[in-house]
Amino acid sequence: MAGETVVRRSALTGVLNRTFRHWSLLPAVLLFAALTLYPLLNLVRMSVSTVEFAQGAEVWSFTPKRNFDMLRADDVLRPAVVNTFVFVAASVAVEMVLGLALAIAVAGVRGKRWLRTLLILPILVPPVAIGSMWKLMYNYDFGIFNQALVALGLQPVNWLGSTSLALLSVIVVDVWHWVPFVFLILFAAVEALPVDLLEAAHVDGASRWQALRLITIPLLLPAIVVAFLFRAILAFKVFDEVYLLTSGGPGTSTELVNLHLYKVFFEQNQLGYGALLSLAVIAAIVAFLLVSRNATSALRPR
Amino acid sequence: MGIRRTFTALAAVAAMLCAAAPALAQKAFADVGKQPPITVLLGSTPWYPAFEKVVGEYEQQTGNKVKLDVTPFAQILEKARNATRSGQSPYDLIMLDTQWTIEFYEGGFLVPLSDIDPAFVMPKEVLSFGDSGYWNAQKRWRTADGGKLMAYTVLGNVQLLYYRADLLKQAGIAPPKTWEEVLAACTKLANPPGMYGFVARGEKGNGIRYDWQSVMLAEGAMVVKDPAAGDYTVTINSPQGKNALDLYINLLKRCGPPNYGSLGQGDVIQLLSTGKAALGDVVTAAFASFEDPNKSAVVGKLETVPLPSGRGGAHGAVIGNWNAAIPKNTADAQRKAALAFSRWFVTYDAQRAFAQAGGIPNRSDVFTSDLAKEPKLRWMPAYLETQKFARQELGYAEGAQVEQILGLRLNQALIGEMSSGKALNTAAKEIEELFRKNGRRTGALPPLPE
Amino acid sequence: MRRGSSAESLRARMTPVGVAALRAGVAGHVLVALALFAVLGPFVWIFTASFKHQIAIYAGQFPFTPTLSNFQDVLFGRRSDFAANILNSLTVAAASTLLVLAVGGLAAYSLHRFRWPAWVSAGFLGWTLVFHMVPVLTLIGPWYIAFRELGLYDTRTALIMTHVTINLPMTVWLMRAFFRDIPPEILEAAHVDGCGPFDAFYRVVLPLALPGLIAAGILAFVFSWNEFPIALSLTSRENATVPVAIARFAQQYETQHAQMAAASVISTIPAILLMFVGQRFIISGLTLGAVK
Repeated sequence: MAGETVVRRSALTGVLNRTFRHWSLLPAVLLFAALTLYPLLNLVRMSVSTVEFAQGAEVWSFTPKRNFDMLRADDVLRPAVVNTFVFVAASVAVEMVLGLALAIAVAGVRGKRWLRTLLILPILVPPVAIGSMWKLMYNYDFGIFNQALVALGLQPVNWLGSTSLALLSVIVVDVWHWVPFVFLILFAAVEALPVDLLEAAHVDGASRWQALRLITIPLLLPAIVVAFLFRAILAFKVFDEVYLLTSGGPGTSTELVNLHLYKVFFEQNQLGYGALLSLAVIAAIVAFLLVSRNATSALRPR
Repeated sequence: MGIRRTFTALAAVAAMLCAAAPALAQKAFADVGKQPPITVLLGSTPWYPAFEKVVGEYEQQTGNKVKLDVTPFAQILEKARNATRSGQSPYDLIMLDTQWTIEFYEGGFLVPLSDIDPAFVMPKEVLSFGDSGYWNAQKRWRTADGGKLMAYTVLGNVQLLYYRADLLKQAGIAPPKTWEEVLAACTKLANPPGMYGFVARGEKGNGIRYDWQSVMLAEGAMVVKDPAAGDYTVTINSPQGKNALDLYINLLKRCGPPNYGSLGQGDVIQLLSTGKAALGDVVTAAFASFEDPNKSAVVGKLETVPLPSGRGGAHGAVIGNWNAAIPKNTADAQRKAALAFSRWFVTYDAQRAFAQAGGIPNRSDVFTSDLAKEPKLRWMPAYLETQKFARQELGYAEGAQVEQILGLRLNQALIGEMSSGKALNTAAKEIEELFRKNGRRTGALPPLPE
Repeated sequence: MRRGSSAESLRARMTPVGVAALRAGVAGHVLVALALFAVLGPFVWIFTASFKHQIAIYAGQFPFTPTLSNFQDVLFGRRSDFAANILNSLTVAAASTLLVLAVGGLAAYSLHRFRWPAWVSAGFLGWTLVFHMVPVLTLIGPWYIAFRELGLYDTRTALIMTHVTINLPMTVWLMRAFFRDIPPEILEAAHVDGCGPFDAFYRVVLPLALPGLIAAGILAFVFSWNEFPIALSLTSRENATVPVAIARFAQQYETQHAQMAAASVISTIPAILLMFVGQRFIISGLTLGAVK
């Protein structure tokens, strides 16, 4: 019986093995091409056009100069860009540090399986619920934070209504929401660490911090890079939390690029300019990633 | 054996009842004939349960099916656009908030109701809500004068002045009739942090724009001079405009909570429901939740009057209404079915049922009927009174952008980032540029002192 | 043959010396405790809110009189198809996760193992990364049109396909990072043993990359589960997913916090259950064929 199975299996797996190189990459490329080419080309075309509607149909006109003029004249864009960079830098930095520390810490305690499940709960909640719940918690009169402060005899804080605090409050929500993301990736990487190296270091008398700095973190670097990369990109695309918490206010203190893009694209129905803005956002993200890559490679000791 | 006989007997009874059912069902409010099923796009709003109930009645009376696709409010526009812009629309009837209608009228996405059935006539008792359902393509303006009927109002919301009857009585204050009286009353009643005198929206964007415009209209200011005639001269930075803005800022600063710069409609409703506010500028639709003991700590204590008048004695209120329209990319049979439902919906009986179920009717005769005497409908007189002076605002294609400009600058003035004069001047300049770029006949007023 | 979770297997591989090396000190334990408190705090808050009436939430009452009406409203209310929505979400999330792990895992391994010309590997990786940067709302219009043309509007198939596309970049990049961690000697040993490239992948590499696979799987599942804009535009009432259903509680003038809290609580349960089950399924499926 076993012999038959082996023979049958080897015929199929033989084919699979021989053609593996060919078919391993193909599904991803085909699927991706099928679903992304049209939207991306559409986006590029829209960015240099103006799309209007008449008699129920779209009317496209080629207007690159007009779109660029709108970009330059956009008053809200400047504070939005500044806020976005501050937001991304602050939240990603905090999330990376906390996520890494948590991943290493949790690897060394009992009950890891439960801890992992509990600690990733925040990313399981739909963003719309997170935004609404935190808005209630930040509520000036009845929110739980102010209630606690008042109970301690302190003054309530205007979390979402003061221009100096609003962005910080949004960052806190983002950190709460996304540290589990970084933690999950880095925890998996910690799990995959080669123990012999760590054991050898311990035997050699290396202190915990030395082992951490010289062995653990360098080994975790690939996962750290991926976590940073995707967390930064997602941070640039943040929308739900800001929309529900502050809608970009008060004033322009929490105006972020993706939120502004939503308003241009949807509320004002400016498809051409909105497309150009999306491309500008992509360019900004790429710039940010290049800068951080250069900055961290300068930091690395060699 | 006995069981089988019982079952047969039961089946016979059931059959008899089913045959008799049409006779037991209510007589149809309007004779619309047999229609194919339709799908309606609408949003999750406080009046949805009432609408659903009325639709149930329609289905029962006529046997025609209606499918309701309830969408989160913030995403209705998106779905409506997707549906009308390509192929065949999955929806036969769409509900558009008033500020979205211009886009659909100008884009030609809707079919005029008279094109579907030339004999269709909107009953004269149906309130027009500033003619938001009519479109005059020549003037690019919503008016019945030379305009085609594109949509009708399913529910019209205006804001009323809510006040705590018990607190005002205790302090010996009469319900305020002017904004100055509101200021006096709220200053007297304010006792932070336990009680705020007056609450209204200060939130950036649609929030502050909408609420402030009631005060703006009351003080006699306008955003543009005469858009119906094509004159888009920007007049927001007039002395009356500045008075209105200063008044509003004063009200919120003196009588509102410390976070007045970020108050949204939900916050305002929350403050009133928990009994922390004495006066408030809120939509009519919130009345039902104030009377629900599960949602409110002040059941029976809030009363309503129309929004107050300004210095010149004029009242001001902005209309926000849901317009039901039929997309152009629908099949003929579907359009007729949607129109048939609409014809049924605007009858007196249907509107009466709607009001009783918790909605706001759109016919004047329902407001003046005996229903107005019911305690949970005691907002009706104030509502009907408001219809006399309520207006549609921002009824042009640039409306969304104008709202964004105003929503930002007003909020900045409120939180003190710039003076009221500077805010209005900046807004006026930006709005004028916008109109000029779009080829409108525009101009500006001399700037206010900053 | 190794069984059990990857967490246990790490510990099982360690000698007492290794355990001592990795064990967290006081600072570590304090950090974990604080993290638990910070993460679970808002959840406890949401949990209690789901049993309160709206007015109790508004007024921040504590203690309060509990009620089950929110759960009743969400699950059995006239306008609610919440059970159906959960089923839709489970189907779409599970299917798209399995699909993206298969397609993305294969692609990542292929790029890592075979010498593809630079333009292929850099091109594909770069293209996925750039696509990941595109704001989702610009994709909705074209996708809506495309799926309507194909007759796939308002189907779970369309959602599954778009979710796979959205999650593919992260899956590919993540798996690639974990594949790189595997020492090349193991692959050479497998080759010497007569394993073809597919066998090596399935029997040797995947089990070693298990932690990464699980992490990628959890993330793909979670992102699909919580995905909102695409689910909203490509479905109507019957095929709506959980985030769309929950968003309905954010109404025009105010949010129905009580029902939204109840819905959020209900929706986390199947997600967690499926993740637990899914983890065991992937692990046992892979370790059955594992060779060390």
